[in-house]
Amino acid sequence: MYRYDEFDTQVVKERVDQFRTQVERRLDGRLSENQFKPLRLMNGLYLQLHAYMLRVAVPYGTMNSDQMRKLAHIADKYDRGYGHITTRQNMQFNWPELTDVPDILEELAEVEMHGFQTSGNCIRNVTSDPYAGATADEIEDPRPTAELLRQWSTLHPEFAFLPRKFKIAVTGSKTDRALIRAHDIGIEIVKNDKGDIGYHILVGGGLGRTPILGQTLREFLPRIELLPYLEATLRVYNRYGRRDNKYKARIKILVQETGIDEFREQVAQEYKQLKPLDITVSQEEIERITAYFSNPDFDETAGDDETFRKELLGNRAFSLWYENNAAPHKQDGYVIANISLKPQQKAPGDITSEQMRIVADLADDFSFSQLRTTHQQNIILPHVKKSDLPALFKRLQDAGLAADNIGLITDIICCPGMDFCALATARSIPVSQAISKRFEDPERQRIIGEMSIKISGCINACGHHHVGNIGILGLEKAGVEFYQVKLGGDSSENAAIGTVTGPGFSQDELVDGIERMVDFYIEKRKAGERFVDAVNRLGVPAFKEVLYV
Amino acid sequence: MSTLKHKGKGPQALTANELREGYSVWLTQDMTWSRDFKDALITEDQDQIDAMQAQGAKDDKANLVVGVYFIDIDAKSGQPARYRETFRMNGPSWDTAADVIAKDPTAKQSATAKKD
Repeated sequence: MYRYDEFDTQVVKERVDQFRTQVERRLDGRLSENQFKPLRLMNGLYLQLHAYMLRVAVPYGTMNSDQMRKLAHIADKYDRGYGHITTRQNMQFNWPELTDVPDILEELAEVEMHGFQTSGNCIRNVTSDPYAGATADEIEDPRPTAELLRQWSTLHPEFAFLPRKFKIAVTGSKTDRALIRAHDIGIEIVKNDKGDIGYHILVGGGLGRTPILGQTLREFLPRIELLPYLEATLRVYNRYGRRDNKYKARIKILVQETGIDEFREQVAQEYKQLKPLDITVSQEEIERITAYFSNPDFDETAGDDETFRKELLGNRAFSLWYENNAAPHKQDGYVIANISLKPQQKAPGDITSEQMRIVADLADDFSFSQLRTTHQQNIILPHVKKSDLPALFKRLQDAGLAADNIGLITDIICCPGMDFCALATARSIPVSQAISKRFEDPERQRIIGEMSIKISGCINACGHHHVGNIGILGLEKAGVEFYQVKLGGDSSENAAIGTVTGPGFSQDELVDGIERMVDFYIEKRKAGERFVDAVNRLGVPAFKEVLYV
Repeated sequence: MSTLKHKGKGPQALTANELREGYSVWLTQDMTWSRDFKDALITEDQDQIDAMQAQGAKDDKANLVVGVYFIDIDAKSGQPARYRETFRMNGPSWDTAADVIAKDPTAKQSATAKKD
């Protein structure tokens, strides 16, 4: 894992000191709310529907056990004993008090964490594949690239006030677990015919009120050109992006209005003017950063352990959990262990401080102290030896963290919605709870198979509903919540924006309608066909017929 | 930030957030702020509304509250007319804090006490 250098440490410490005096000045009136608001947002502090909310950055979803324990401590000391994993792999606290926030930031700085760039019209916390450095299917570990981008974008003086927020995601695998096509810039690490590693750059993707998938800006960008090329791209956006209308200010609108070919040419022209190429990163520096992400000390003798195999055969609950929650690892004898934060009747992505400490202990005991957060609002132990899985599973069961539903219908992405968010138009948490209640039978979930439901409580789409196999958008009219349905969205490397089916439903009608569509799918599917594949084959109108009876 | 301008129709209440703690509050009959909507002063009387507006501006300036604004109140129910405001009144319909407290009532009393 990357460790802060002196520069990082100093910058974070100085920011804490600055913010402490800014809060003091706000409280005694030397700063008005208009003056203070951008300053608090720069540190991830929002004023939400009921209280302040602090968003803590988890760079590319990577943290260690000490950091998780610190988050648990903050949850207990300054909040209400829990946190919430967001769809940008960050951690939110829903109830901090303004007067405590400088102390919270100081405590975060002790473990190299902060709230920089989790808000505002800047380059936001870079996200990545949560399986990075562990999965067998990657061309290269994307974390060094993500770290490079973190260093480049952190407090970048020219890009602190962009027309609108700017999100970057990186993946090193053909299997897209980072949703790169729905980002302002998506980066896929690729290898060309000569065997050189470089970047496939996508631009202009995004969800929100105008969902658009990213288009190819460069098919293959040599590694050395990454930062200068992104610098040029951001300059073009900063110059031409609209500032007159916030709803048309994202780069996706600029790319649409300009056309991808013209936009590419503008970037090329800007790139030529970058003299000297003073932000080009040397191979030496890339290697220095990469060294932080070298493999942990794997047990080379680990294989298919006897105890593990016996447990697999003799313990049904364990085998079901293993089947759904464990993913193949690049190292023989290891797996990637997914910890679901989607148990029945809870809020997706929420984790109590007690669970945070347990997860941190599990990371210490079984995964080289490493943890990941996912944009699906779950947690990952990236390197677990198969022989440790039975013990891990037992402790997860004891902690209420053994839900075996990763990738199934109850593994729902869900924003906080009207229950917490000042922008929301309807609740989303109760909808996710009602759906997970309806499909609570684990056997039924398995029969349905791989499927994604994503729920947003407003048009801003934090719950990624546009790319859910079933996407749900919560709206409100005359004091009544209703829910619009999209079908056929896909967040994978085959990314697709779902199609709106028609008028919305009440929550009860919605859950009934989803059940009818699921039953229809099971009746009509071909062998091995996933829900989204069946929607694509049979067409949205066929599913609409059973949705609207 | 303040949207302290009375534009509504019918009965009005004045709401804001506490600057220090951030919690939703409503102006009361005695011109103080309460975290409980039940204490809110609800009136159609223009003189009272003017007094509320003046108090809101004063407390905003005194850095007690932030984001002061009037809300419409449904005359029949006495509840906020806008759906969003009913949520501010009631608090979240789901808060994982309830789970935390159920498991360890003594350790987490302070957490809920904040809202009381």
